[in-house]
Amino acid sequence: MPDGAGRRRGDPGGNPRWGTSGLNLGVVAALVLAFSGGAGASPTTYTVVIEQMRFNPPALTVRRGDHVTWVNKDLFPHTASANSKAFDSRSIAPDASWTYVAGQPGTYPYRCDLHPTMVGILTVR
Amino acid sequence: MKAIHAALFSALALVSFPGWAQSTGPTDPQIAAIVVTANQVDIDAGKLAESKTKSADVKAFAQRMVTDHSGVNQAAVDLVHKLGVTPQENPTSQSLKQGGDDNLTKLKALAGKNFDRAYIDHEVTYHESVLDALDKTLIPSAQNAELKALLVKVRPAFVAHLEHARHLQAELGKSGA
Repeated sequence: MPDGAGRRRGDPGGNPRWGTSGLNLGVVAALVLAFSGGAGASPTTYTVVIEQMRFNPPALTVRRGDHVTWVNKDLFPHTASANSKAFDSRSIAPDASWTYVAGQPGTYPYRCDLHPTMVGILTVR
Repeated sequence: MKAIHAALFSALALVSFPGWAQSTGPTDPQIAAIVVTANQVDIDAGKLAESKTKSADVKAFAQRMVTDHSGVNQAAVDLVHKLGVTPQENPTSQSLKQGGDDNLTKLKALAGKNFDRAYIDHEVTYHESVLDALDKTLIPSAQNAELKALLVKVRPAFVAHLEHARHLQAELGKSGA
């Protein structure tokens, strides 16, 4: 026991270092809270896979500012084109992708301009 | 009209796939030849239609056929090379080629709405035949897992093309003779 206590006492820098470290952690935690709280929440990235002539998922709801990436896994080009023209990927080549940063809240039916049977819906809250 | 019906009937007959006896389905090299030929036939017809049609809708459809079937064929050729398979001609692939050549000959002699109707009518029967062959012969017979997976992967494109062609067929029918 004397040995143990002695070691603790014999480490003069120990307590102050821990104290400083604790303070820094507190500051960092406060900063993290400040930046992640409220309206400034970091955007989420969602993926819509285009494969076998379908958008998957066919319906997706995101928040304004979120990123939506369409990935084309088919063997030929597709597009993700809002009927309202709010967004239009133009041709996405096989194995390529296109990302849209969700803007004005609303419901956006979209389609593949090249294949009229392919439709999806993006909802922005 | 009789001539058109006769031409349609012969096109339908030519585009149809000879049946395979249940026990002797096509081998993988034969399936590879059928897939590549089937795509090439539609690419060739699409290229002709792109250059001949005056209809924006028919032109867009033809361009889609050229692009999509070229993509499928590229994947098929890549897979064949990867697997070291040599496509093997067979009665089905030869019949497809002959049907495609006959279709081109017939289409080259037509113009205007007659051309559009004949092209789209053939696209409908062609995609119906290919889907039928995929479901009844090609997918069930494919032995290699990657070849089978490719056939399954491209099937929805043929379904979408068929729906697109049927839609155009109805529109062309509405527009009068």
